[in-house]
Amino acid sequence: MSTAAGKRVKIKAQKRLGELMREHFVDLDAAAGDPSRKVAWCTSVGPCEILTAMGFEVYFPENHGALLGARRVSHELIPRAVGIGYGAESCSYMTSDIGSTLAGVSPLQEAFGIAGPPTPEVLVYNTNQCREVQDWWGFYGRRDGAPVMGICPPTHVGEVTAEHVSFVRGELERLVGSIEERFGTKLDLDRLREVVALSSQASALWRRVLDTARAHPAAMTFFDGVIHMAPVILMRGSHKAIEYYEALLAELNERVTEGVGAVPDERFRIYWEGMPIWPKVRELAEKFYDLRTVVAASTYCNSWAFEEFDGGDPLEWMARTSTEIFINRDEETKQKFLVEMLDGFGIDGAIFHNARTCPNNTNSRFGMAQRIREESKLPVLVIDGDLSDLRFFSTAQTMTNIEAFVEQLAEYRR
Amino acid sequence: MSAPLFVGIDVGSSATKCVVLNDTRALVGHHVVTSGFDYVEAAETALQHSLLQAEGVKKDVAYCVSTGYGRERVAWADGHVTEITCHARGAKEWYPEVRGIIDIGGQDTKVIRLSEEGRMVDYRMNAKCAAGTGTFLESTAHKLGLSLGELDGLAMESKAHAVVNSYCTVFAGTEVIERIKEGQRLDDIAMGLFRSIASRVAEMLAVRDGALAATGGVAAHCGALIRALEEVLETQVWLPPMPQHAGAYGAALLAAETNVAERSSARHVADR
Ligand code: SF4
Repeated sequence: MSTAAGKRVKIKAQKRLGELMREHFVDLDAAAGDPSRKVAWCTSVGPCEILTAMGFEVYFPENHGALLGARRVSHELIPRAVGIGYGAESCSYMTSDIGSTLAGVSPLQEAFGIAGPPTPEVLVYNTNQCREVQDWWGFYGRRDGAPVMGICPPTHVGEVTAEHVSFVRGELERLVGSIEERFGTKLDLDRLREVVALSSQASALWRRVLDTARAHPAAMTFFDGVIHMAPVILMRGSHKAIEYYEALLAELNERVTEGVGAVPDERFRIYWEGMPIWPKVRELAEKFYDLRTVVAASTYCNSWAFEEFDGGDPLEWMARTSTEIFINRDEETKQKFLVEMLDGFGIDGAIFHNARTCPNNTNSRFGMAQRIREESKLPVLVIDGDLSDLRFFSTAQTMTNIEAFVEQLAEYRR
Repeated sequence: MSAPLFVGIDVGSSATKCVVLNDTRALVGHHVVTSGFDYVEAAETALQHSLLQAEGVKKDVAYCVSTGYGRERVAWADGHVTEITCHARGAKEWYPEVRGIIDIGGQDTKVIRLSEEGRMVDYRMNAKCAAGTGTFLESTAHKLGLSLGELDGLAMESKAHAVVNSYCTVFAGTEVIERIKEGQRLDDIAMGLFRSIASRVAEMLAVRDGALAATGGVAAHCGALIRALEEVLETQVWLPPMPQHAGAYGAALLAAETNVAERSSARHVADR
């Protein structure tokens, strides 16, 4: 065991992350106030590269939803959205975000000293993750008189075929056409190729960052991942994201070489399936530290680890990668992926988070947890909760569930 | 020096239970008190009464494991373990061949499955709400102007049963009123309430093989619950000698099983 084992070490890159986030949001705010610049809103696994290549500054509302959750204000804001007819059990990113707009408050104000989310000139979605985003964007489209555009790829896909890719590519072309028509600009394919190459590079680095948790002890945890994934979502297609992940990867690789674990004296390794519980991320991270258990891998953080771009047709790469993402696949493909992850990361047990307001990112509703238990022969736990809405979460019950799960892992090992 | 004693203390949301074992693991003391608002005091009272019965004093306690909702509040416990593991351990001691344990507590219901070797292979807890818990029964009984004991007595008289579908305590109350309006018998309605809990348990029981036992305060006090479980699950459900103390008993057994070297350091007995 290394001398550093037993001591909790902070990720040094986090300081740079804070600066990057500030620069990003301050610049977005400036763009919103500058008539010569244009702001587009985009879904987190949406066609943002097209928007960047066409000169838009891109804002990702889901990040705002997560921020509202992490700041523990969602439950105060959701009722505002429910009051105007959005379901209390609909996506709590959407309801808390709309609620925050209705209340005129945003954590961006306090965190970065800016006015709040930038006003969109266009809102772009990809329903590869869910249909909710379309209706979420619809609220702002109506409010701001901005066009809402997007693509609807085939969903619950098994094997991604050439037909699927060609169909989605066609959808992307149609989307480009609509943006060109509306804004009187032309998409430069070489510029798109450049942005896609950068995006893919950031994504590949992100995958390597996540892979440092394959080491025993794991160099990072899921709870580190949900913080450090911000650049691969918000800044993909930029050099900044690449530089950031190069530095982070170097730091984590050093941990691997020196045998330093993110969780001191790591005993057990857990897989997290489903969304984070944003208001409880810190508390849960502490709980796992106490239990000397590392949440070494997750589906969620992997959502932005795309296949690498080979320099060919950028639209085809976008069509393929956005259709191939886990959330858009059928049960069989998901199960295969999960079993491979459990194996590859040396996992002792899996926790499925049943996020009550996001059926799309919840995989315990069609018997998957049981099937994974049978196939992997590992203990599997399903916990109830939500990404943002604490009304669906019981701290005492969840903590007992997690502790009991670790007791079960200990029993398995005996 | 007197022989060492091993203590298990289960600080539940409604009741705090204590069990004392001697060095041959014989149960020599036990007590139950209402948890109330002061878990620390409840734990102390339950311990003192149990020690009195065991003819011991606090310094005779070689190791103590706390469990239950308030397990972390017992500062003098040497380690804490979840009630899930403790109920499983307690029930297994009484019934080595048991494969499923149904623990219906004040604020949650748990179903625990053991392997043939007695290893915990799966467990489930009710979702965040009172559905299918002791609180659900108590508050519905209260609406009918009955105590839980009276509700149980009534249900035991039932020849049929009314259907109460709702999972929600509030809606179940409304349904009860509907059944009364329909002219259904009160004893059948009471049984319907116990069956609605049993239906929740049926949902949580992924695999129905092997012997089942019920533990927890509700099982201890309500014969109607056992009847409802047996009817809905279509199998016999064992009721151990001290169902309410199953968690504390399991905790005491885990305390006795913790080896001497670990007794000084472990906070989580499961750290072994
Ligand atoms: S995937 Fe889930 S959390 Fe994300 S926007 Fe859709 S419904 Fe909301």
